[in-house]
Amino acid sequence: MQSGWSDRMERLFNRRSDGRAICVAADHGYMSDVTPNVVNLRSIARAVVQGGADGVLLSPGQAVRLAPLFEGPDGAALIVRADWMNMPRLGGSNVTNAVPQRGLFHQPVLGPADALRLGATAITIYLFLGYDDRLEAAGVASCARFASECRRAGLPCIMEPLAVGSRVNGTNIVDLLTLGARMCAELGADAIKIPYTGDVESFARVVRVSQVPVLVLGGARSEDERDALELLAEGLEAGSAGCLMGRNVTKSHDPEKLVRQLCQMAHEGFSVEDALRGRQWDRVRLRVVSSKCTGCNLCVTACVAAHGERRFGSQLARLGIEPIRLGQHRVSYCTLCKKCIDICPESALSWHGSTGAVELHPDRCTACGKCVEICPTHVISKAPTAAQGRRLEPWLPAICDLCGGGPACARICPTEAITLGERSTVK
Amino acid sequence: MEKLQAGMNRILPSSDQGCLVLDASAGLALGALSGLEDFEASVRPLLAHLDGLACSPGQLRRLPEQIFGGTTLLVRADWTNALRGEDHALPVETVVHFPILEPEDAADLGASGLVVSFLLGYDETVEADCLRTCVRLALGGKRLGLPLVVEVLPSGPRVSLPGKAAELGASYALESGADLVAVPFTEAASLKTIGAMLSVPWLVKPASPQSAAGEWEQARDLGAAGLWLDHHWAPAGLALAGISDLVRQVRQEGA
Repeated sequence: MQSGWSDRMERLFNRRSDGRAICVAADHGYMSDVTPNVVNLRSIARAVVQGGADGVLLSPGQAVRLAPLFEGPDGAALIVRADWMNMPRLGGSNVTNAVPQRGLFHQPVLGPADALRLGATAITIYLFLGYDDRLEAAGVASCARFASECRRAGLPCIMEPLAVGSRVNGTNIVDLLTLGARMCAELGADAIKIPYTGDVESFARVVRVSQVPVLVLGGARSEDERDALELLAEGLEAGSAGCLMGRNVTKSHDPEKLVRQLCQMAHEGFSVEDALRGRQWDRVRLRVVSSKCTGCNLCVTACVAAHGERRFGSQLARLGIEPIRLGQHRVSYCTLCKKCIDICPESALSWHGSTGAVELHPDRCTACGKCVEICPTHVISKAPTAAQGRRLEPWLPAICDLCGGGPACARICPTEAITLGERSTVK
Repeated sequence: MEKLQAGMNRILPSSDQGCLVLDASAGLALGALSGLEDFEASVRPLLAHLDGLACSPGQLRRLPEQIFGGTTLLVRADWTNALRGEDHALPVETVVHFPILEPEDAADLGASGLVVSFLLGYDETVEADCLRTCVRLALGGKRLGLPLVVEVLPSGPRVSLPGKAAELGASYALESGADLVAVPFTEAASLKTIGAMLSVPWLVKPASPQSAAGEWEQARDLGAAGLWLDHHWAPAGLALAGISDLVRQVRQEGA
């Protein structure tokens, strides 16, 4: 293998010494119609680099024009798209399709030596699965050739398996992406860029079988930028090395800010909530303005659903909404008053070390009911325990745990009657 | 030719013992096989028992050199979707076959030999592609001292006489330049013909892990040099106990 491969992998995946990378795909003008993110590429690329992106994926032509953005050994890495395809113009996507295409076409465009001359730190190529066997075979041949040539050139090769075509359906898409990830690993990919499979468990399997760093891609842009952050959060939870996100960033109203948020999550351990507010809170608390509450009860429903106990009665919610007069409601919630902690004779309740919420230690709880009785806001309920197992107590107290730091009630409240605040001190 | 012979000696280290080669390269087309998901952890305990390990290029480049000891590394130099069955996530509609490596790439990866499949019974163009690939890789490999192993796969729907198809595949492999041929276990008469015809060493591919010991016994008597274990061994047979039992039998009876 030529020297340079390790340095380039380091530049891409270890700029912050954590093995992670936040990259932005800005190669859409190469393959789809002219959209605002394509027209304004120069300013967008500058913004994402200023936001701290570890890498930016560009077409060969834009790589030449935007080369100054990637100068210096410590700057963002330039990733060059080494192939071309017409998938976004086939229809069914969110572009206008000025010249609709009749069939999927995919071909390599430039070789690793050309990419190195452009100053690339890595190249990216597609592998299509599910369209037809011959297209897949051509993709495999292409990937194999790139893997060998990149190895000789010392250039990392990022392969991007995509499940596209009439043979892809809702039941096999996860299997196809998993298959594609492993095929790329076997062909010699140095990293894999792949769509999120929809849940952490299946994506963790994709990561496991990939055996090389995995970057989750963002897909079509969501109107809510929180979605992009949550996608990254789930990808990281599944073990991915970061993201190579395109339209969610390049079509964002503030690409620099969004990239900074993604970087904070990947490199500084921020939660989605922390990233959205721009700094990490040690502990949180609920803040309630009852006059804003419309009594829609979304918070109650979200609370029950968030705790995933397969029971859906509103009596199990860890907060409550009560009408007090026409159009006015009282929101009952955990005020962190500590009375339950103090009264528990078994020390089964304590402050949670990181969230600052009340934490229940079920193994110590005897279901004496004292916490339920003393709660001044009546938001501790008795949650029936499962019949099986060794537990003898018929119920355990259901106490607000602030959903681990990102309370579902605050996230869903449409009027901001419930929001999240920082809890600076713990009594 | 000296370099080539040295390469062959690495795959077949001793003429008086049966050799055992595990082909763990099927992930190229099949994805992550159960039993091989974590490739390095799965093959590491087996290496002491194997004479050869065939890997995909991607796996080969990630395996740390120091784990191999005396095991010879072969690299899969072709790709086909013919291994995919009806229950695969992407069942095959059109069988394709093509090379994915040049001999120079294999040498670059540190491989001691090249492995390709010879498919029979599919579209005629597939057979022609296999022949062309074998000839090209055999000639290219010889220049670099890399032996070519041809795995005969008479698995297409047009195969009417499996034994004769295995004979034909072995013959094509030989004629196109193979240095070692892996043939599926088949009827005794065909194995006898293959043994008589092949002027290069050949390995037999057991039909299943369960039948391997008995099939090895028959094939050894007909001149087979060892066993070639394909992807069917991954789910069940990669258990260390299964392989090491087989190794014991191959080594003792081959001695």
